Amino acid sequence: MGAHVELDNVTKFYDAKERLHALQEVSFGIERGEFVSIVGPSGCGKSTLLKIMAGLDLPSSGEVRFQGGPVRGPHSKISMVFQAFGLFPWRTVLGNVEYGLEMRKTPKKERVEISTEYVDMVGLGGYEHMYPKQLSGGMKQRVGIARALAVDPEVVLMDEAFSAIDEVTADVLREEVSEIHKELGKTFVLVTHNLSEAVELSDKVVVLSSRPAKVKQIFSVDLERPRDRTHSSFIHMHKDILRLLKEELENTMIRHKLKGISELQKLHDMEAAGREDVKEHS
Amino acid sequence: MQVSVEKQKVLPLSLTSRVLTQNRLVNYLWVLPLAIGFVAWEIVTRFSLVPQSDLPTFSGVLGVFFTSIQDPTFLLRIAHSFLNLTCGLTLAFSLALPLAFVAGSRNHFDLTLTPLVMLAGALPDLSFLPLLVLWFGPGSAAAVIMASLAAFFPIYFTVREGTKNIPRELFHVTTIFRSNRTSTFTKMVLPAISPYVFSGLRLAYDFDWEIIIAIEIATRVAGIGSFIEGTISAGSLESGFAAILAIALVAIVVDRVFFGTLESWARKWI
Repeated sequence: MGAHVELDNVTKFYDAKERLHALQEVSFGIERGEFVSIVGPSGCGKSTLLKIMAGLDLPSSGEVRFQGGPVRGPHSKISMVFQAFGLFPWRTVLGNVEYGLEMRKTPKKERVEISTEYVDMVGLGGYEHMYPKQLSGGMKQRVGIARALAVDPEVVLMDEAFSAIDEVTADVLREEVSEIHKELGKTFVLVTHNLSEAVELSDKVVVLSSRPAKVKQIFSVDLERPRDRTHSSFIHMHKDILRLLKEELENTMIRHKLKGISELQKLHDMEAAGREDVKEHS
Repeated sequence: MQVSVEKQKVLPLSLTSRVLTQNRLVNYLWVLPLAIGFVAWEIVTRFSLVPQSDLPTFSGVLGVFFTSIQDPTFLLRIAHSFLNLTCGLTLAFSLALPLAFVAGSRNHFDLTLTPLVMLAGALPDLSFLPLLVLWFGPGSAAAVIMASLAAFFPIYFTVREGTKNIPRELFHVTTIFRSNRTSTFTKMVLPAISPYVFSGLRLAYDFDWEIIIAIEIATRVAGIGSFIEGTISAGSLESGFAAILAIALVAIVVDRVFFGTLESWARKWI
């Protein structure tokens, strides 16, 4: 049997004419209960990959398999935490957490019980009846996390979940997510551009190349938890990933430059040809 | 130390402003200029600064107002106008809401329909009135259609704007939690656009009072507008003013009660 979640040659073009190539044959596996981060240069298609895993988008070719079955739409066991929280402002904290269960037609009483439990788990006990506008960014994301967990998923996808929160709050929230991961044993997939975050939380860091994104390298993070950002092996791993990404970025820039130079050359050639034309005419 | 700070805070406030803030009377400050206006009205008419054939006294108007609102036919006229308005508004709402929602969410549809709606909206609605009267006669049908025409545009444009402003992420949320089409509409789209719907409806409601009264005056469709026109041209200005006062009251009460309730719900979370 394959991995819990398996990406098999996932390829994505943004347009029908196959010119905007986002993902190129991305393949890797995620084991049950693993915490995997996906990092890569900005705009490389990380979020697109996550959307495909969530069933929000379809791959142009290849497939994502969850427990052996292809993911071709939203799945009841795959849940998601959003970058801008994705809360319904007209619903209270509890109402937002209840939403997923409500869509599953869970009876009201049970829904409230389960939701209250998860609201407490993310440390928002006492805030159940507040509206999102009354909460700070960190608290909003706690609601987002509680909502994602309340439907009892096996896979929790997190799209830049900590990037819209101030650093100190994000740090606390990361520790709590790490605790929740340990406690619930669910599979977590985090897309991020924050390398320390990736190393701190993950069992595995998947580094993607720039567009079209391919898997550049997969790092296994075998550091003891809770992880110390000042530990030498943490710093080493961070450096290694950073070097790889910088290399990738430089390659892209060189590629762009070369492309630029060749286009410039073309312009020069055209200009030269033009001048010759003028000469001939005179 | 604490005490002196308190004192410093309190001292600059005058007695009146303290009474005002403490009793939440600030919310009713608008009554004051209104009352001054009425008193001024009474004075200029009482002392014949303005001839009473042009402007009756305020007390006279009030007297007629109180006898009028006990007269069933007077109340029926107001009810008639209000019913025409409500029908027009409902008709416009039930047409504009779905169209505006589709225009807000489907680009091709938007590009096809919205320019047409804009063109039609640029025309002064009342210019259609003679045609409507020709086709439907000078009755409630013409008034209702006219009112719905006028109400369509504010509802259409606010709802379309509201739909376009729904964050994409919220659609992802409904998809992830496997909401079906109906509940996506009722539990996400509708609440998300509701503040826009409310302001569109409110604008349309204000427009429609003017339209309805204008139609009644112009075509003598039964209602409070034609009553005003009739009484004033017959020289009974006090009845005319009493009717205007009555419309103002109905319009304000409905505005406060209906839209006030809707908006106070929205204000909780906006």
